[in-house]
Amino acid sequence: MNVADVIRRSRRLKLFIFIGIPMIYLLIFFFIPFLIALLYSLGMFKQVVYQYHFVPEPSLEYYVGLSKYPGIFKAIQRSFYYATLTTIGTLLISYPLAYYIGVKLEERYRDLAVLVVFTPFWINFLLRVYAMRFILHEAGMVNTILRLLGIITEPIRFLGTDVAVIVVMIYSYLIFMVLPLYGVLEKLNVELLEAAYTLGATPFRAFLKITLPLSIPGILAGSLLVFIPAVGEFVIPELVGGPNTTTLGTIIYSFFLRVRGVTGWGIGSAAGLIYIAMILVASYVYMRFVGGEVRLG
Amino acid sequence: MKLFDKILKAYTYTVLALIYLPIVILIIFSFNESRSKVVFTGFTLENYYSLIGNYRVWDSFYNSIWTGAVVTVVSVVLAILMAYGVSRYEFSGKTLIDSIMLIPIIIPEIVEALTLLVFLVIIGIELSPYTVIIGHVAFDISFAYVVVKARMAGYDPQFEEAARTLGADEIRAFTKVTLPILAPGIAAAALIAFLESYDDFIKTFFTRPPGFMTLPVYIWNMASRRGFPLDLNALATFVVAISLIFAYIRNRIERRVY
Repeated sequence: MNVADVIRRSRRLKLFIFIGIPMIYLLIFFFIPFLIALLYSLGMFKQVVYQYHFVPEPSLEYYVGLSKYPGIFKAIQRSFYYATLTTIGTLLISYPLAYYIGVKLEERYRDLAVLVVFTPFWINFLLRVYAMRFILHEAGMVNTILRLLGIITEPIRFLGTDVAVIVVMIYSYLIFMVLPLYGVLEKLNVELLEAAYTLGATPFRAFLKITLPLSIPGILAGSLLVFIPAVGEFVIPELVGGPNTTTLGTIIYSFFLRVRGVTGWGIGSAAGLIYIAMILVASYVYMRFVGGEVRLG
Repeated sequence: MKLFDKILKAYTYTVLALIYLPIVILIIFSFNESRSKVVFTGFTLENYYSLIGNYRVWDSFYNSIWTGAVVTVVSVVLAILMAYGVSRYEFSGKTLIDSIMLIPIIIPEIVEALTLLVFLVIIGIELSPYTVIIGHVAFDISFAYVVVKARMAGYDPQFEEAARTLGADEIRAFTKVTLPILAPGIAAAALIAFLESYDDFIKTFFTRPPGFMTLPVYIWNMASRRGFPLDLNALATFVVAISLIFAYIRNRIERRVY
């Protein structure tokens, strides 16, 4: 019997090839690294010359080191503050947009409209962030318009402040909110609204009682898609922020790629795992709070 | 109600215009001659000349393309295996697979990147372009799987059964019947996988060897300086043009898929 025959006959071997190989890949290069990083953050790998040795004595040294880092608690608080405002901001901006495209716009134009919304987000993320520097600069567009309107006389300094970081985060994450909202609103049965009007409901009441509750799965999915990465964002605070916009993401980044060394990586891993733990708790609480049982994706 | 609709329409167009505005400004300033201010002082093509003569840009672009191509082939093959196995076989724990495959999409990339870096160093693998590829495949399998599986769920396994009844073995039925039917789904999956890799910054940044640059890493190096390096604007024009081509291809493929 040759190899091809063996493969043809054995169901177990087929299953191993179809499911086993991709799963083993993910296990080795995705899931096990989390475990290793956890052990690493607990100081369980000691470097001897160029090799690492496993030492089964966990210690919280790196976590203590992280907690003593100046401004760490402020930075965590700031990360959640940015992520929360980004989530609320993207939701408020996207909802009317998604509503217009998904409900009001004629059906044949919808695909085109989604394409128009989506296209700019195909352009490299870093370039979009860099582009915002031109808008927010002291001599940039926002300041120029405000000055021409006579609202300000002196230019406002946005770059380096919370405002710049939040505005750019809302701009960058918008699409992750628009798409799930469009997904639910497009499926909205307009006859339900018509029935409500016939029965005497005001448009506002019909919205509150029908449209909004039916869009909750989209709101939930969108919020999580924005909030989870937003907490760990480091590119935007680095590119448009300054010394006062340190976040959890920029701390992880600087421990890993600036401080480096065994200690830098240890503390950086500790910060990364704390990040994961916090967003798991936050997402769970949020899902319970807003919508009970909802499936992602 | 009519007035409300009009406001909503005007609002939508305004937001769309605002989304495009920064990119348009980026391109306009690529023709600016003054490097010191964000004020347009005069038209020049100099930023483009300096871009064309900058071999590091083209080197990074080349790296993005070839690593992206390898990542795409590996992750799409693995995704097809997985999607086929899940759609055609019954086994225990099958319902868990879709959830497991969503994890790499949901986990924030910075954490994926740092855990992989720690892992590679602990087991003693030296950083190279291949460690970057390994990292990209780990999230790209998931993106490709979601697309291929959606396509596979949408077609009737009777075609395969017919081929089997007519005497084809499973491998032949797969290559002659299943793969051609899946082709548009595979094309869509490949494009998404490629773009996710081509555009990736964070994971590349953590798992690359010193000196190895992809286009996003190069962009970061320029953008993270203070000020306004205008040859980056010229590069942006180039990147925008490429992205529009990708968006167009993607749109064409998706029309065939759905």
